[in-house]
Amino acid sequence: MSAVLQRNNVKVVGKGQQPMLFAHGYGCDQNMWRFITPAFEDRYKIILFDHVGHGQSDATAFDPARYGSLHGYAEDVLAICRELELKDVIFVGHSVSAMIGVLAAIQEPDRFDRLVLIGPSPRYVNDGDYIGGFKQEDIEGLLDVLDSNHLGWSSTMAPVIMGNPDRPELGEELSNSFCLTNPEIAKHFARVTFLSDNRADLPKVKTKALILQCSQDVIAPETVGRYMHQNLRGSQLVLMNATGHCPNLSAPEETIAIMEAFLGEPAPIKAAAE
Amino acid sequence: MTIDQGALTETAEELYESAPCGYLSTLPDGTIIRANQTFLTWIGMERQDLVGHRGFQDLLGIGGRIFYDTHFAPLLRMQGFVNEIAFDLTCADGRKLPVLANTVQKLDAAGRPMVHRITLFNATDRRKYERELLLARQKAEQATEELRRLNETLEERVAQEVAERMKAEEALRQAQKMEAVGQLTGGIAHDFNNLLTIIVGNIELLQRRLPDGHERLQRAADHAMEATRRAATLTQRLLAFSRRQPLDPKPVDANKLVAGMSELLRRTLGETVVLETVLAGGLWRTQADPNQLENAIVNLAVNARDAMPNGGKLTIETANTRLDEAYVEALAEPVPPGQYVQVSVSDTGTGMDKATMEKVFEPFFTTKAAGKGTGLGLSQIYGFVRQSNGHVRIYSELGEGTTIKIYLPRLIGSDQEPAEALAKRPAMVKGAGETILVVEDERDLRTYAVEALRDLGYRVLEAADGREALAAVEQHPEIALLFTDVVLAGGMNGRALADEVTRRKPGLPVLYTTGYTANAIVHHGRLDVGTHLIGKPFTYAELAAKVRRMLDGA
Repeated sequence: MSAVLQRNNVKVVGKGQQPMLFAHGYGCDQNMWRFITPAFEDRYKIILFDHVGHGQSDATAFDPARYGSLHGYAEDVLAICRELELKDVIFVGHSVSAMIGVLAAIQEPDRFDRLVLIGPSPRYVNDGDYIGGFKQEDIEGLLDVLDSNHLGWSSTMAPVIMGNPDRPELGEELSNSFCLTNPEIAKHFARVTFLSDNRADLPKVKTKALILQCSQDVIAPETVGRYMHQNLRGSQLVLMNATGHCPNLSAPEETIAIMEAFLGEPAPIKAAAE
Repeated sequence: MTIDQGALTETAEELYESAPCGYLSTLPDGTIIRANQTFLTWIGMERQDLVGHRGFQDLLGIGGRIFYDTHFAPLLRMQGFVNEIAFDLTCADGRKLPVLANTVQKLDAAGRPMVHRITLFNATDRRKYERELLLARQKAEQATEELRRLNETLEERVAQEVAERMKAEEALRQAQKMEAVGQLTGGIAHDFNNLLTIIVGNIELLQRRLPDGHERLQRAADHAMEATRRAATLTQRLLAFSRRQPLDPKPVDANKLVAGMSELLRRTLGETVVLETVLAGGLWRTQADPNQLENAIVNLAVNARDAMPNGGKLTIETANTRLDEAYVEALAEPVPPGQYVQVSVSDTGTGMDKATMEKVFEPFFTTKAAGKGTGLGLSQIYGFVRQSNGHVRIYSELGEGTTIKIYLPRLIGSDQEPAEALAKRPAMVKGAGETILVVEDERDLRTYAVEALRDLGYRVLEAADGREALAAVEQHPEIALLFTDVVLAGGMNGRALADEVTRRKPGLPVLYTTGYTANAIVHHGRLDVGTHLIGKPFTYAELAAKVRRMLDGA
């Protein structure tokens, strides 16, 4: 397996030709797509991966400088596309990965057919008239919670993540676990995510985009979804019945239906499309 | 008394309500649909205000809320359970209650999430402890980081130190080599001087005794004498390099010395080389042998001229300078830190590479064509400067030029510069029958000296060593002058002999002779005040003048 595919723990499934590349958001790994991908496996080539430092990616490939902004992660997405020679890609990104997809599509517009952006936000922290939903100090609160939750994690799981070639059974355990992130990388990614500001990038996007906006999403509130829609030319905004930040987990049917409609497949649409 | 068994048995309801942990049931979207009394007590809320109205995530601070949405909820949905998630609950009065949450997801018949059962432990103590652990770990990490950094710089420092040490060792090797070569050349030069003294003496004898009318023989003797003088100059330079030439240090104003040489230098340099002198105002005086310093400057000027075949510029500068501790520490030779008078000679010539620079002070090293140079010029300068407690530094860039800096120690004290020594032309002065005791362990040399003195009209006694000499002194109270070699065989050197003789005959003039001298007569290569010395090889005329002057008390 090539270095890129190994680094990002890339999995390819499905019987179709057109590639559908799924990028997990902050806090998760590729397992978060488990309720979505089965609906598309017959007609698309499904590509799943973990961002470096997440899931079963190669955490040793983590470089704070390279991943100091979302561009580093976008580079990885493009590297995967190049490695697998993907064209006409339907990029499905959740949360922060929605913006990562936006950056990748700006860089190589010809490679992407469509963008499906679930709970995207170009900037999480309020800025003047712009309401991102968070104050700067809120991010510190999140880092505190991460500390509290990683303390136990680091003592039990760190040896696994850090690599124990002499104890392969730990790798087996790991494959049964979800959303494991090296604590330092998790905090780094939290900072990069929640302090990112990609508003200026939105007008550069030429790829057709769908925005899935949950109700009562604290992380990406509706105002942010509307801001995205206004600044992404030709984009489509769908307000979902699903609440929270992960409709792909909490409301997979609704999510699939909206995606099908956007992709031109006949499927019942429960939510009103704008 | 009858006991109601039913009342004694704890009901499941009681257990649920008063368990030492909080129990919550929520809908998949977080809405609380059931809570036990323990939980209500903890957060200080009424059941009716909470149940059906609030989501579990609404009880969390903003950081916890993000964590709930990004970690807790997805994980629970994927895994079906989540254990030991740390949250801070916001109580009714605003207090934060640290809890650990274990949660199980219950599915309906169709496999869809129906309800979440959340068990909460009061984790105030544990979290406090964990916080301390975390701080301790951060401190440990900091310490490790500091240690790592220290180690890194340590490696750097060690590497630097090693490099410096290697450089110092290289310099030391170079200095040792110079020292060894110095010893060797010094020894050879000394022996040569003795031989040359004999040759000079005998040629002089031939010259004097040749009857008139033998012009060809006279010329042959003159050629022999000339060659011998050149040989003597060479050995003198060898001795200078080996720091064994007797120096005659005096207070020197280097400015005056350089200024006085400019005419000579201009002639030496020729028309294509421009001479510039930059003399520092208020230049300190130094203590050095002025003749040797002049020699050094001429030597450097000649080298510079040869390095500028197509012309160029020669700059002679003087300056007050200070060699600090750091500078002298880096030197292989022991040079004390302090104030120095610097005389530098720079040219705009061809310069030299590193390999050449390393060798320039070695005797017989020359870049000049065979016959063009002896390879002794810089060696001589090196020896002279080192013997004067100074330091020589060479800077050179290929194609740019060379600067040689001579540092001589500043003379502290206010000895007036002695008036220019009267350059008395020694007239051929004869003896008046005074008795002179000649002590010399080498027979031929002794013979030469004795014959020369007799020829001059002195009565001469001779001795081969100290013992014989002392015996002669006992027997001949008329001895008017002791003429002794510094180095004598037989255990008593010239100085010890002179000390003993003058103890017995106070005021007796003593004339030393030497090819070179170890410290016996010349302290660190300098003449003791009041010591008279005639260097080997000496000529008949020099000896005549010196002896006469001493006997006359001049």
